[in-house]
Amino acid sequence: MTVQSADRPSMIEFQDVHKYYGDYHALRGITASIRAGEFFSLLGPSGCGKTTLLRTIAGFEGISSGAVMIDGKHMEHVPANQRPTNMVFQSYAIFPHLSVEQNVGFGLRRDPRSEADKAKAVAEALEMVGLKGYGARAAHALSGGQRQRVALARALILKPKVLLLDEPLSALDKKMREQMQVELIKLQRQVGITFVLVTHDQEEALVMSDRIAVMFEGEIAQLADPETLYRRPNSRRVADFIGVMNFLPATILGEANGQIQVEAAGLGRVEIETNQAPGAISEGEASVGFRPETLTILYEGQTASDRETAGTIDEVVYYGDMTYYDVRLDGVDKPVRISMRNVFGRPVLDIGTRTRVAWSAGALVLFR
Amino acid sequence: MKLPGLRLYALVYLLFLYAPIFLLPIFAFNDGTIIAFPLKGFTTSWFGQMFGNDTLARAVRNSMIIAVSSAVLATTLGIFAARAGSRFSFPGKGGIMGLIMLPLVLPEIIVAVSLLVVLLGMGMTLSVFTVILGHVLICTPYAIAILNTAFSSLDRSLEEAAVDLGETKWSTFRLITLPLVMPGIISSLLISFTISLDEFIIAFFLAGNEPTLPTYIFSQLRFPKQIPMIMALGTCLVLLSIVLLTIAEYFRRRGIARSGGKDTGGFL
Repeated sequence: MTVQSADRPSMIEFQDVHKYYGDYHALRGITASIRAGEFFSLLGPSGCGKTTLLRTIAGFEGISSGAVMIDGKHMEHVPANQRPTNMVFQSYAIFPHLSVEQNVGFGLRRDPRSEADKAKAVAEALEMVGLKGYGARAAHALSGGQRQRVALARALILKPKVLLLDEPLSALDKKMREQMQVELIKLQRQVGITFVLVTHDQEEALVMSDRIAVMFEGEIAQLADPETLYRRPNSRRVADFIGVMNFLPATILGEANGQIQVEAAGLGRVEIETNQAPGAISEGEASVGFRPETLTILYEGQTASDRETAGTIDEVVYYGDMTYYDVRLDGVDKPVRISMRNVFGRPVLDIGTRTRVAWSAGALVLFR
Repeated sequence: MKLPGLRLYALVYLLFLYAPIFLLPIFAFNDGTIIAFPLKGFTTSWFGQMFGNDTLARAVRNSMIIAVSSAVLATTLGIFAARAGSRFSFPGKGGIMGLIMLPLVLPEIIVAVSLLVVLLGMGMTLSVFTVILGHVLICTPYAIAILNTAFSSLDRSLEEAAVDLGETKWSTFRLITLPLVMPGIISSLLISFTISLDEFIIAFFLAGNEPTLPTYIFSQLRFPKQIPMIMALGTCLVLLSIVLLTIAEYFRRRGIARSGGKDTGGFL
């Protein structure tokens, strides 16, 4: 989590944005606001319209109806080369026939500053992305991570109001990606520019963003900060897309005093706060969801602080620092996943072990 | 070698391919009008005769004008077509592209005869210009084929990146697109030039009274006395071809090296 950004002015406004490709309805009424200086992510599966939405900010994609505003200005008649945005492309789009220096300084061609000042700006930009001394190299001789840094320096040298990043980390290996995630966050804090990131990687979005818009089929399903998105997803679909969530069938018995009475399979009778039930349901069939880490397997001698349920271990997946247990709660066919931090001296349990599981009603979310 | 038969086959093949060409310079410097062994002696007089021949000079000039104009026109048209074909999709694209590429497989004599009929019907006088028209027609498909590869291997986001960094459509084309497809353009120019230079049928039908290099050589074959001079001319043309091919290959390799690609194929 970074600084509270709720009171910051809006940098980008989408007002009921629609986009059609022929008969295909790619963006279906996007209304959202991205605040100045925040790290904002557009997250969704491929084909959900997140890249299209990003490209409407850059000006590469026109919109069929609605409005896109940047810094209070209507962008309808502003072409891509005059918008206060710069982009880091998925393929990085490093100009292969130019040197690193020429690539980074490309946007300064129309800058009235002297050549010496421009060279200084290029050197500073390269230093900022950790490529000091690489200026004279040929662009095609760089590694994937270095290309990405050149693309960043090239986009940031123009001091845009908004930096757009189109899946910039997807071509890197896992280690490099995690390192770049941290560097990008640091860089964003350092320059204070609004970053808009497109990604299909929910973990990446959670790690990097101040706020995330989850998109499905051309619509924003939920727009929230990472913690809210993870703890209080507003639909089963969002819950499923972000991390792992277990679902158990439940029957709603009634509602009283801001609490919903639920009979959940395996868990028994539970009271769930109405603010844990997005979609305002008060009767009928539903399901309760909970994250793997909200349940704890109790070892001998441990007692639950709130509620506990018995079950049998069905599967064990060992991750080194963590172990994932698939536990079949008594009375439920489908096992639920429980993640446990491994503690030195405490054995990993075997498949088939009878166990007790501790949980609390506060961690449950009720879905339609 | 495990299979000596294959080795022999390769040797015979190469001999059949290149032995006649090696005979050209031998007889070009042979002091005798009969093309046969034994050789008589060394002379450069055939080259002297070649350079003193006015009709030949005229044919060379005509051929150069035709080949350079055809190469430039075909490549320019090819750039437009390849750019449109690789960037945009429009109704009837497949059909239009197919029709443009058709002259590649159409028998040249059919193209030549029908062009002759149409041009005469339009009341045009046969000249170097009508040959250029015909050559542009047959060179353009080659130019498009070469340039299509160059344009479609160009990452579209390179152009978007340039626009994103403040360039206009035209300056993007000049600063990014053109340098990156330049090897393809040079290739296309050289191939079109070569095709036009040694094209016979269309030139024969459409040139009127103007000689071109191939039609001139063909007309001289009837005179045995002229054959050593033709050998000298052939020697010059072979040298020119080698030079052109070397230049084309140099640019192709430099293009690949500059864009950091891997070398796959090429001529040499």
